[in-house]
Amino acid sequence: MSAILEQLSAVVIEGDETKSPGLVQKALDEGFTAKEILDNALVVGMTEVGIRFKRGDMFVPEVLMSAEAMQTGLGILRPLLAASGAEMLGKIVMGTVKGDLHDIGKNLVGMLCEGSGFDVIDLGFNVAPEKFIEAVKQHKPNIIGMSALLTTTMRSMGHTIKALEEAGLRAGVKIMVGGAPVDREFADRVGADGYGSNAPAGADLAKQLMGAA
Amino acid sequence: MRTNYRINSGVRFEMFTQDQLEELFWGALHVLEYTGLDVMHEEARQILKKAGAWVEGTRVRLPNYLVRKSLEMAPRSFTLFARDGNPENDIHIGPGRAHFGPGPTCVQFIDIETQARRPYLNSDVPLVAKVVDALPNIDFCESLGTVSDVHHDLGALYEFAGMFPNTSKPIVAWSYDKYDSAGIHEIAVAEAGGQEAFEQRPTYVHYCEPLSPLITTSESVDKLLFAATHRIPLIFTPCPLAGGTAPVTAAGIIIPAAAESWMGLTIAQAVQPGLPFIMGGVLSVMDMSAMILAYGAPELSLMMAGITELAHYVGLPLWQTGGCTDSKTFDAQAMIEGSLSCYFSAMTGGDLTHDVGYTESAMTGSVFQLAAMDEAIGYTRRITRGIEVNEDTLAVDVIHNVGPNGHYLKEKHTRRYFRSEFWYPNLHDRRNFEEWEMMGRTTLKDRTIARVHDILVTHNPSSIKPETEQVIRKVLAEAEARVRA
Repeated sequence: MSAILEQLSAVVIEGDETKSPGLVQKALDEGFTAKEILDNALVVGMTEVGIRFKRGDMFVPEVLMSAEAMQTGLGILRPLLAASGAEMLGKIVMGTVKGDLHDIGKNLVGMLCEGSGFDVIDLGFNVAPEKFIEAVKQHKPNIIGMSALLTTTMRSMGHTIKALEEAGLRAGVKIMVGGAPVDREFADRVGADGYGSNAPAGADLAKQLMGAA
Repeated sequence: MRTNYRINSGVRFEMFTQDQLEELFWGALHVLEYTGLDVMHEEARQILKKAGAWVEGTRVRLPNYLVRKSLEMAPRSFTLFARDGNPENDIHIGPGRAHFGPGPTCVQFIDIETQARRPYLNSDVPLVAKVVDALPNIDFCESLGTVSDVHHDLGALYEFAGMFPNTSKPIVAWSYDKYDSAGIHEIAVAEAGGQEAFEQRPTYVHYCEPLSPLITTSESVDKLLFAATHRIPLIFTPCPLAGGTAPVTAAGIIIPAAAESWMGLTIAQAVQPGLPFIMGGVLSVMDMSAMILAYGAPELSLMMAGITELAHYVGLPLWQTGGCTDSKTFDAQAMIEGSLSCYFSAMTGGDLTHDVGYTESAMTGSVFQLAAMDEAIGYTRRITRGIEVNEDTLAVDVIHNVGPNGHYLKEKHTRRYFRSEFWYPNLHDRRNFEEWEMMGRTTLKDRTIARVHDILVTHNPSSIKPETEQVIRKVLAEAEARVRA
């Protein structure tokens, strides 16, 4: 790997969002493509962050700092990626389900998925089944991610999956679920394709669902 | 700017009022003045007589002014130093500071490999010292056992010789007699670079025990005189049993315990004015059905809190007790008794809390109990550290910036404080069920055993000087020759 890309991935790991845009620009100036910078610097950095988090060497506020450093860099790359038609790892539509206003965990999963090379469309929180259906029609994602923090709102995941089935859209997407009260058994019961027990696990799961991990 | 503003920098605990403390204090002085103690040591009786004591046969009575003068001479604050100069391992004894360490002389030991209970061996000493050296909340070292596989008079000496090279944390050394004491001191002085260097930076404390009720034994005075002459910080700690060798009441056991300890203080200060002196002792109940000194009794914590307050009232540090249990194994009883006594001891600001790692009522030492208590002490220390209140910690401006329906994870304020404000467990599990299941459904016991094994493989204590190693070999060889002669 070149020095500039190594530097950029180190800045992502350190979580210094003031340095990443400058380094992304420098890498572009040196002739790297947006896709090369994404895959060989930003994704590499975030992968290491995920490993360190799992090992207990990094904590959530630090993962967020890294995700932000990644995102400020990605902000420059996004239009270039779109213009070049570069193939992303996949497209994910995600949201916190209806009745639930908690989006910290969902946001973190979203950023880590971006850090893994996904195109992420965030629908926010309190997302009704109809909104998910609309988004699937519009964006044609590979994966839908749903999050809930409350035991009282997690059943809305089941409602959304049922609505997708009824709209004839279920077969075309993979569905992953997560959030504090959710477990594998619940994921199976509502008919999801996978469950992530924490944010990095959610990003790993997305890769698995794409057959990329 | 703050003005006329008072700060509590931690959680406070207080049991007695000044009136009650005064009553306890004069109670102990009364026992020393009117009842007196049997001092079974001719030289000590001479020293005390010269200082102003009344001596009749072996009975020695101390006029209260003499005890009060001795109390005044002993320091409330002093430092015990790491032998390698690592300031992180120094112990600063003083108001509002609680430190922890194991205890001595258990006959049995929980084998580190097999977890079986068996006699304590010479080969266990370096392992215990290494674990002590590595555990972040264990501040001083004792060995958790009486070495059974060397000559029966040399256990204490072998113990020190095994501990000293394997931890740089200050050691509390007991001994059978003055010959042990001399050998131990020779080793510490060699490492310090001479007697004067040791006096400036003492690396170990000498531990002696009088006998309850009200006897100052000959051996304890031999050792005390050795420590005082060589300016070795001294612990003089009786071990009365409420209802057996002391009154059954909690107030009643504190009085003779203080008197027994202060007899040692008075001798020590007469020989070496200003000698750092740590008051004892271990106070608990004699269980009236099992006939044991209960190490997991709530009365132990309560009585220890009482005598700690009395010690602090008279300006002495106290040899506290905690982290111990009557349980025979690593079970819930061991964790409840050990954790609560650690917590309570820390709340009292007991200066050196020993017996962390005792199981089976002090019959069996366990590094696993010790390592689990390291976690309990870490937990405790987060609580006793208290809540810091200032403009930055109040975070009013941060609350304003985040507003309703935001979150604090991304705030610089959070990043600045999340490591120092929160306590991070080493052994306790907070993972979700599936992760816990994936990691092998481990219990606290499994994780404690794994941590001890990991420490023994990965932790390397700083080494002692090659000259000191030679001195250790010489001291042991001379002692072997002496006991065989």
